[in-house]
Amino acid sequence: MSKGTTVRMWRRSLVVLGFLVFFGFSALTLRLITLQLFQGEFLQKMASEQQLADTKISAMRGSIYDRNMKPLAQSATVWTVVLEPAYINSQEKREKICKGLSEILEIPVEKLQELSQKNSCYTVIKRKIDSETKNKIVEFKSKNKIASGVRLIEDFKRFYPYGKFAAPLIGFTGADSQGLAGIEAFYEKTLKGEPGRIVTAKNAIGTEMPFDYEQIIPSKPGQSLKLSIDETIQHFMEKNLEEGIINHKVKNRGAAIAMDVKTGEILGMAVKGDFDPNEPFKIADPAEEARIEALPEEEKAKEKAEALSKQWRNKAVSDTYYPGSVFKMVTASMGLEMDVVNEQSTFTCNGSIKPSEGAQSIRCHKRSGHGTQNFVEALCHSCNPAFIMLGQRIGVENFFNFYKSFGFHNKTDIDLPGESSDIFFNKDGKMSLTDLAVASMGQNFSITPIQMITAAATIANGGNLVQPHVVKEILDENGNIVKTIDPIIKRKVISEKTSRRVIDMLHRNATSGAAKNAYIPGYRIAGKTGTSEKIGLSTAGQKDYISSFCGFAPADDPKIAMLVFFDTPKGDYYYGSAVAAPVFAKAMQDILPYMGIEKIYTEEEREKLGNKTPNTIGKNISEAKNISINAGLKPVIIGNGENVISQIPSPSEQIVQGGTIVLYTDSESKSKTVKVPKLTGLSLFEVNKISHSANLNVKISGQNLTESNVVSATQSIPEGTEVPPGTTITVGFIHKDRIT
Amino acid sequence: MIGIKIKKHTEKHTEKKPKKRKSRINKENFKFLSEIFSIKSGIDIPFLFLVMTILVIGLVMMFSASYPNAYYLHGGDSFYFIRNQLIFAVLGVIAMMAISCVDYNYFHKWAVPILITSFVLLILVLLMPARNGVHRWIQLGTFGFQASEITKFAIVVSFAHFITLNFNRMHTFKYGILPYLIILAPTILLLALEPHISCSVIVILLAAGMLFIGGVKLKWFGIVLGSIASALLYLVLFTNKLTYANNRIAGWLDPFSPAAGVDTWQTKQGLYAIGSGGLLGLGLGHSRQKYLFIPEPQNDFIFSVVCEELGFVGAVIILILFALLVWRGMIISMKAKDKFGSLLGIGLTAQVGLQVILNIAVVTNTIPNTGISLPFFSYGGTSLLMLLAQMGIILSISRTSRMEKN
Repeated sequence: MSKGTTVRMWRRSLVVLGFLVFFGFSALTLRLITLQLFQGEFLQKMASEQQLADTKISAMRGSIYDRNMKPLAQSATVWTVVLEPAYINSQEKREKICKGLSEILEIPVEKLQELSQKNSCYTVIKRKIDSETKNKIVEFKSKNKIASGVRLIEDFKRFYPYGKFAAPLIGFTGADSQGLAGIEAFYEKTLKGEPGRIVTAKNAIGTEMPFDYEQIIPSKPGQSLKLSIDETIQHFMEKNLEEGIINHKVKNRGAAIAMDVKTGEILGMAVKGDFDPNEPFKIADPAEEARIEALPEEEKAKEKAEALSKQWRNKAVSDTYYPGSVFKMVTASMGLEMDVVNEQSTFTCNGSIKPSEGAQSIRCHKRSGHGTQNFVEALCHSCNPAFIMLGQRIGVENFFNFYKSFGFHNKTDIDLPGESSDIFFNKDGKMSLTDLAVASMGQNFSITPIQMITAAATIANGGNLVQPHVVKEILDENGNIVKTIDPIIKRKVISEKTSRRVIDMLHRNATSGAAKNAYIPGYRIAGKTGTSEKIGLSTAGQKDYISSFCGFAPADDPKIAMLVFFDTPKGDYYYGSAVAAPVFAKAMQDILPYMGIEKIYTEEEREKLGNKTPNTIGKNISEAKNISINAGLKPVIIGNGENVISQIPSPSEQIVQGGTIVLYTDSESKSKTVKVPKLTGLSLFEVNKISHSANLNVKISGQNLTESNVVSATQSIPEGTEVPPGTTITVGFIHKDRIT
Repeated sequence: MIGIKIKKHTEKHTEKKPKKRKSRINKENFKFLSEIFSIKSGIDIPFLFLVMTILVIGLVMMFSASYPNAYYLHGGDSFYFIRNQLIFAVLGVIAMMAISCVDYNYFHKWAVPILITSFVLLILVLLMPARNGVHRWIQLGTFGFQASEITKFAIVVSFAHFITLNFNRMHTFKYGILPYLIILAPTILLLALEPHISCSVIVILLAAGMLFIGGVKLKWFGIVLGSIASALLYLVLFTNKLTYANNRIAGWLDPFSPAAGVDTWQTKQGLYAIGSGGLLGLGLGHSRQKYLFIPEPQNDFIFSVVCEELGFVGAVIILILFALLVWRGMIISMKAKDKFGSLLGIGLTAQVGLQVILNIAVVTNTIPNTGISLPFFSYGGTSLLMLLAQMGIILSISRTSRMEKN
């Protein structure tokens, strides 16, 4: 052993070996256990973050269609321009890219230069560019042989082809195509779909790795909505509502709702004082925008936010108001259903009534009183004392039970965001006799317009409370029906018989009662006007009103109910009968023929309406003259020819008895025109006389012609316009009566 | 001379175990070769097997780890690194087998010249142009090597030499401490000038280990080692002389959110790779971190790619192979026929063991980051050649070692 290892050497060698193997290697193994088995997930996540380029693929948002599949909201493909600084590895390339993109996208070169030097491989420089701009970039890239550094990523942009159309109803989307208001917000989950992802492995300098590590999770397009809204009906409503707002200087917007009374489907929901959903963050009213622009900077933001939230607000479901006399149709239904009144019951109105001993008396709108009247007449007069008396017969408890039963004490659960609740005197229905008295005439409690029309539909459809809804069907991306929203009948509120009796009374009201401004010859309108004072919201020194009209047609089998509602009209009139009823009538005049509802004229109506023009084209002059005179028309011959080559009005058009028919005998004379005279503010007789002498025809609208106290309010062709003789001008008449 | 000695050993060995003579190669011409590769000729087959196994795994992993870098940084030539490494591996194996036939006592005589060469190279390297701010490489045309590779070998050989000479006086200061301090002090100083801290640490640990085995009194061992450690600690913690080491310590303590000016990129990326491997790894060739995230994944941080691709299981198997190699090397050396062989073998085995442990400790952020390569794995032709040659010396020792060799 003298040459080899000694015992001490052996021992100490073992110590060294032990130190290396047991201490060293075991420590390392423990360390690996910690790193790989315990911290592995965390470290792997950190590694993935730098290794994987995760690109979101936007999902195509579902479309919104009207009931006839006209697109109201669609998503169009757009592109996001992304700069990839990691790929821009030479100054020359940087300058080329920045200059080129700056020209195409109109972004300052300096800004692009700065972005292109960011330490990242993904910097968005412009979102939502259209395909034209995208093509320019593609062309620029191929022309300059730029393969990397600039990328285009597909995205979607919400597009509303009809602009302002139904904007507060449909709503709008934000920058990431998320629904922010209206149907867009309420059906966000249905519409949005699921975004996909492309996960690509990248190396440290951002180029893709040579091995296959790309995972594409495709996006799932959103489902589309088919609304119960009819674009045409909505259009008629919006047109007339807007006209009403202008004519009556309405200060605080207006709304109209049309509902299929049997199913609760909303056929149209117009809110005017609206916005363009393609540019939701722009104040739509130029006057308002100018006012805010002029404000000092610190107030601007607040005012702008207020103006925006106002224009976005769907008045038809979010605003509450006193329904006023419109509610009398509900009170009448309660009375008839409880059998505490019938059509022959008499009420005596002295111009005011005390709801209880010692209470302050409540006046009727007719100070002198309506005298003794039966119940039908009381409704047609919209007589307050009569309805207060009826309310007393109904009683507090029953009144509140019916109030709840008609759906006023709950939200209607319409599929729209921001629906408000009612504000009743007391949550549990307790009210004083004075409260009951004013409640009977629709005052001092607030409901939403959607609640009112739902109650009106209940009366119209035979007594069933339906749930209003705006979405009819949910469709997949190929247009297949995924879900159909069936009508929901919540409960029976009144009997069929009561319903019929109230309809008849309301029909009478719209034919010869306070609501006669809503009369349309041939169309059996039933309805009730309403004017309510706005409490606490008055502008200095003046009372503010809400004028509304709620009605339905045709009275023999109601199909459509419509509520028209103006908040704070500041024109010549503020009564529902003068402001809302004519708008209702004009809209219905457009809508009912569109819906294919047949006109049924009474004899009386037929006489007033006149006949159809005969066809005189091709006839010689004397023959044509005879035909015209036989048809009860005044022929006016223009030109030197022998035969009639054309006529105004054209054959088979409606024309009043004694109207003018212009017969042209040569083509040169066709260029002759006459000036349209002023036809507003006149009586029926005056309008006929003036138009007759000007060789123009007049069509009378919106008016029961048997009445004499009417005045013309609108003319379809403005005064001073040059038109061919024989042209028909529609003149709208309203009653001078100021009846709520 | 050499041939004769080998024959002598072989004869001794065959006398001991006559049963094992099974060689069927009778031709005189092949006798030399058959003696090298057959058990009876005396090299330790398990050790050779371990070396070859680790070498093959190392080469495969080096190829896997290096090809993205080769592809991206060497003009799309994915084989850039592995080609070089393979050439040196083949040369290395040839050198190993050749040296295993050389009597290791040859180094006994050449210990002092080797030590002098080491000093010359350490001085020469300081005159060479710096790479990445450090003077470590001696470049001769395309052929380059690190001076410290020679130094580590020189320390092992010279310490084995002097300890053997003065074995009975190792307990004294004059013979047990002084000569080694004289060798060690200038070596560490020169390494510090490069600077090359990691090599200094290995050299100090190797020296300490050999002196410990050589029989230095624990008292001296404790005093010298303690003072060197405290001196280093002082330099690192309280002066700016080793700022780069200071930064490394700061980065070691918090690799994920380093302070300004502290670069922990490599450590961080290595840890991501190790963690990503999990239990079973991403599969051979499927590391993602090697795609330019880990700087030079074929070098010091190759083990992180191993962990990522082969997982915990693969990494532990490799650790076990290294442990077995160290074990076997130590056993061979401890049973060597003389003290020089023993000390030389232990020194060379310990060098491999220490490098493996320190490298993996660095990669796993167990100790601060410092440049230590992983034997058999890391890229570096001359380093691999040198390593295999040293394995050849251990095989040479194994020929006369008194142990079971199958």
